[in-house]
Amino acid sequence: MFTPRTDRRIKQVVLWGLGSLLTAALVTYFGMHNRVTDVGYRPQQPVPFSHKLHVGELGIKCVYCHAGVERSAHSPVPTVSTCMGCHLVVKAESPRLALVRQAYENGTPLEWRRVHKLPDYVHFNHARHIRAGIDCASCHGPVERMGVVSQVAPLSMGWCLDCHRNPERYIIPAREISGIFTGLRANGQTVQLAQSTPVTNPPYGMWSTPVDTPEIAGVPMPKLPGRGPENCSSCHY
Amino acid sequence: MRRLRWWHIPLGIAAVAFAVFWVLVLSGQKTWFSEQPPLMIIPDMDDQFRVDPQEASRFFADRRSFRTPPEHTVPRNASAYPFGQADVAEAEKRFPTAPIPATPFVLALGKNRYEAFCQPCHGPEGKGDGTIVQRGFVQPPDLTRPEARAYSDGRIFHVISAGQNIMPSYAGKLTEPERWAIVHYIRKLQQSAMTAAAVPAGAGALSQVNKRGEGQ
Repeated sequence: MFTPRTDRRIKQVVLWGLGSLLTAALVTYFGMHNRVTDVGYRPQQPVPFSHKLHVGELGIKCVYCHAGVERSAHSPVPTVSTCMGCHLVVKAESPRLALVRQAYENGTPLEWRRVHKLPDYVHFNHARHIRAGIDCASCHGPVERMGVVSQVAPLSMGWCLDCHRNPERYIIPAREISGIFTGLRANGQTVQLAQSTPVTNPPYGMWSTPVDTPEIAGVPMPKLPGRGPENCSSCHY
Repeated sequence: MRRLRWWHIPLGIAAVAFAVFWVLVLSGQKTWFSEQPPLMIIPDMDDQFRVDPQEASRFFADRRSFRTPPEHTVPRNASAYPFGQADVAEAEKRFPTAPIPATPFVLALGKNRYEAFCQPCHGPEGKGDGTIVQRGFVQPPDLTRPEARAYSDGRIFHVISAGQNIMPSYAGKLTEPERWAIVHYIRKLQQSAMTAAAVPAGAGALSQVNKRGEGQ
């Protein structure tokens, strides 16, 4: 029907075309994973608050500002009065705190930019996870080393389920710096085992962002209450 | 087999680099930072027409979803602390003793709460040498001084709940049982300070050095 030359040309076009389409499809399908699109989201906040300074250097624990996280589904962003509890005295004139002072004096909200957001059809309960002895860093990464907070975990459904199925592989047990209270164990010790232990990189890309100084896991894992539920209605209700 | 041409070499390098790049990306080993909000390919019901906690609200003129409760109301299952900073006498009358006993659980809770909420200023042993004080905050008085040892439980509870001078109220951050647990833990700190004062000065100084070293 065609000359051999045209025939070859058609074969080439079809093969190359199919190949490119397949590559494009694969790259789109896998490249659009949260691991690629969401991880590394690091917005500039209106106030240059540094967790590295406040948590890493001063040793203020997570729950001091995010108080109520142990009792509620939502982890609260602190009120401006929490900031001013210290900053009425410390660095009271700092221009970097101008927006905080303004919000405090006028009673207007300070609009922080949200870093971690789950879709509205997923319910994540912070209190429930903390009660199970799971450290903040399991999902949020080593925030005490971050000058500007970034998202380190993909927060995708597969990521949630990986951990619900094999918590011992992924969970970082409650650390002292978090300040979360996980109750008493039978021997009278609180479950806060990993005292001042640096955050370790979990085995597989639990956090996809490389941390400053990754350490090898040497942290004793506490006996966890069990695996997480896998029913649809556990999270989608 | 076709003849290898010069441009096959850069093409091969590019193909390998492309493959390595995607393997790194997909295995979670390579990522980059972005200030742009995550790309939403199919945003179907990710953002529903509702207000999440602390989200901006289009309904209220000031855009706050975090509303101030109307006056003379309290949240369900909670009680507002009724006394101001100056009402020490009333508070002591209302809370003559701690309503919960100092069990090991309560002491563990108190230790945890103290370390999270009090230690930044008051220091690990209540001496007023927290990290915030070293950064220029007003040094709080020693919690283990004889005067504070003589305070009633109710008075310590009152200071935690209502604040004192520059110290803010912690009634919003700590539940009532948590505040009582802290009272018990402060009592324990006061006791151990008394015990430490009883041993010779040299031994005390040595233990102090060890404590500092541990904290590093």
